[in-house]
Amino acid sequence: MTNDKQHTGGSLLFDVMQQHGVTDIFGYPGGAIMPIYDALYDSDVNHFLCRHEQGAAFSAVGYARASGKVGVCLATSGPGATNLITGLADALADSIPVVAITGQVPTVAMGSDAFQEIDIFGLSLACTKHSFQVTNINELEKVLHQAFAIALEGRQGPVLVDIPKDVQLAHVESTHPKVTRLKNKVNLPPANVGSAIAMLSKAKKPVIYVGGGVGMANAVDELRAFIETTNMPSVSTLKGLGAIDPDHEHYLGMLGMHGTKAANLAVQQCDLLIAVGARFDDRVTGKLAKFAPHAKVIHFDIDTAEIDKRRKADAAILGDLKVNLPALAIPLAIKEWQQHCQQMKNDFAWRYDHPGDAIFAPAVLKEISEKMPKNTCVTTDVGQHQMWSAQHMAFNDPSNFLSSGGMGTMGFGLPAAIGAQVSRPHDCIIAVSGDGSLMMNVQELSTIKRFQLPVKIVLIDNAKLGMVRQWQDLFFNGRLSETDLSDNPDFLMLAQAFDIKAKQVHHKDQVSAAIDEMFNHDGAYLLHVKIDAKENVWPLVPPETANDKMMENS
Amino acid sequence: MNHYQLIIHVDDKQVVLERILQVTRYRGFLINGIEAKVNTGTHIGTIKLQISSDRPIELLIDQINKLIDIKDVSVDNNAVAPT
Ligand SMILES: Cc1ncc(C[n+]2csc(CCOP(=O)(O)OP(=O)(O)O)c2C)c(N)n1
Ligand SMILES: [Mg+2]
Repeated sequence: MTNDKQHTGGSLLFDVMQQHGVTDIFGYPGGAIMPIYDALYDSDVNHFLCRHEQGAAFSAVGYARASGKVGVCLATSGPGATNLITGLADALADSIPVVAITGQVPTVAMGSDAFQEIDIFGLSLACTKHSFQVTNINELEKVLHQAFAIALEGRQGPVLVDIPKDVQLAHVESTHPKVTRLKNKVNLPPANVGSAIAMLSKAKKPVIYVGGGVGMANAVDELRAFIETTNMPSVSTLKGLGAIDPDHEHYLGMLGMHGTKAANLAVQQCDLLIAVGARFDDRVTGKLAKFAPHAKVIHFDIDTAEIDKRRKADAAILGDLKVNLPALAIPLAIKEWQQHCQQMKNDFAWRYDHPGDAIFAPAVLKEISEKMPKNTCVTTDVGQHQMWSAQHMAFNDPSNFLSSGGMGTMGFGLPAAIGAQVSRPHDCIIAVSGDGSLMMNVQELSTIKRFQLPVKIVLIDNAKLGMVRQWQDLFFNGRLSETDLSDNPDFLMLAQAFDIKAKQVHHKDQVSAAIDEMFNHDGAYLLHVKIDAKENVWPLVPPETANDKMMENS
Repeated sequence: MNHYQLIIHVDDKQVVLERILQVTRYRGFLINGIEAKVNTGTHIGTIKLQISSDRPIELLIDQINKLIDIKDVSVDNNAVAPT
């Protein structure tokens, strides 16, 4: 590569992307980003045309989460840019490295309410980790490098770069600038390793509570070694699923609002809680003042701002989990506690016996989980089907379970699966969706068709906005307000319209054969699973309630 | 309600002031006064923020510190707390 290559702003963008190893991007063109799309024409980067910018943003998120690389999405100014926002908010809430490039009206028109002008830079403040607006072509190269660096460093997150049309067109020479990190000067306080070890060796009933940070720190091996050495009971958040070996004898499953009874009771009873890359989210803690009431807390994180934010840490261990977890891995004498947790795990194990012919979604998801090829990546949408997936499917790595955690965004599953499939063309990708959620980004079926992506869609259809219906039944006296979807489209015809093979099942005895057919089919497949509208997700910790006061199926 | 004065040093970058104001509001702090100046020689800005909240000030300091263009944040203990 020469030092003095002539570029336009647009071609420079693709040059920088390639320097950062970007091979695939997701986007949608329009007036203010046309020079960038013109430069794309000569570029080796693969562009995946989505059918809505929100789809492009979620595909970038899915790509990043499935591969560990930065996801990239592109949109034009105005409505294109605003359509990205939900995806960026989702990426911020779940700390996903995404770089979003938006076109902007020319600098001379900025601030004049020009056609398709919106202050996306201003809008980005609340939904990105950082953002830039480049009004000087000589700044562009440096800014783009910084955007990729910021997305990945420390706690990862989305970065937006807004580029006016004249800057995209302007000529510039690549200077290959030495990128000075814009990183702020937070000095991580020294880790309290000594006091943490003292707490750990005194603990009689420790539990490790694992969050999404473990996967993002690439510390799954270190975590598993820690659990192997200490042999302590473990629980996971939604985003942490896959980090702990699901077959480990002392793993108790997910905790929180729809967590297992064993996981929630163990945390409520423990005398030491070790939070690893987790942030005491309200969906995890239930009533915060009553969460793990007898426990001292050791908190491992990369983000200083998470320490003491919702729960005071008795010892804070900030920094890289890969380094810090091994420092605390010591064998423990906690036989009685292990046995107690083991007993709860057995006593409260999931049951799949279910009366009648109607399909029991948890059993379907369990069977899919058992039959899916090694290294399958599952995405979900949001609702009951999401919680059933988290409860009844097993994952051997966090990059194999992608679910919108912090934001809980319906419409996530299908485009995230597209991104995951693009990043891992040889792995099986399954989107578990709901009849409400699928319709939120249903246009992305077109993207599947265009690129012949072999995504498997498992549609759990209760003809309801099921999770909201469940809450209306339980907490609003059964006043079912606007949650009925009994006039859903014909999903088989819908799939057919996009050349996607589809099958509907509505009886238990049809399920196994249909699952086999789905896995044996080479291309995209929609498995339409009709279930009873009245099924609920259990257990359920009602809002503002302690996690041991869960409601159960009666 | 506790009153504080924060002294924040920043790189003189686009919208850094807006970012600080947004984070301050979002994290539950009221802004009672503000003074902001840039040293044109060093391109370093100094922002003095008078704020009040029931929440611990450490929560806000940690969040402001995370902003990319921030050099440092401190509580000015000498500032007279407005009543
Ligand atoms: C974008 C968005 N809008 C609204 C909601 C609120 N919400 C949460 S779950 C849910 C129902 C989801 O219905 P469906 O996809 O059919 O899943 P089910 O619960 O029936 O399995 C709704 C409306 C949301 N999470 N996201
Ligand atoms: Mg539904």
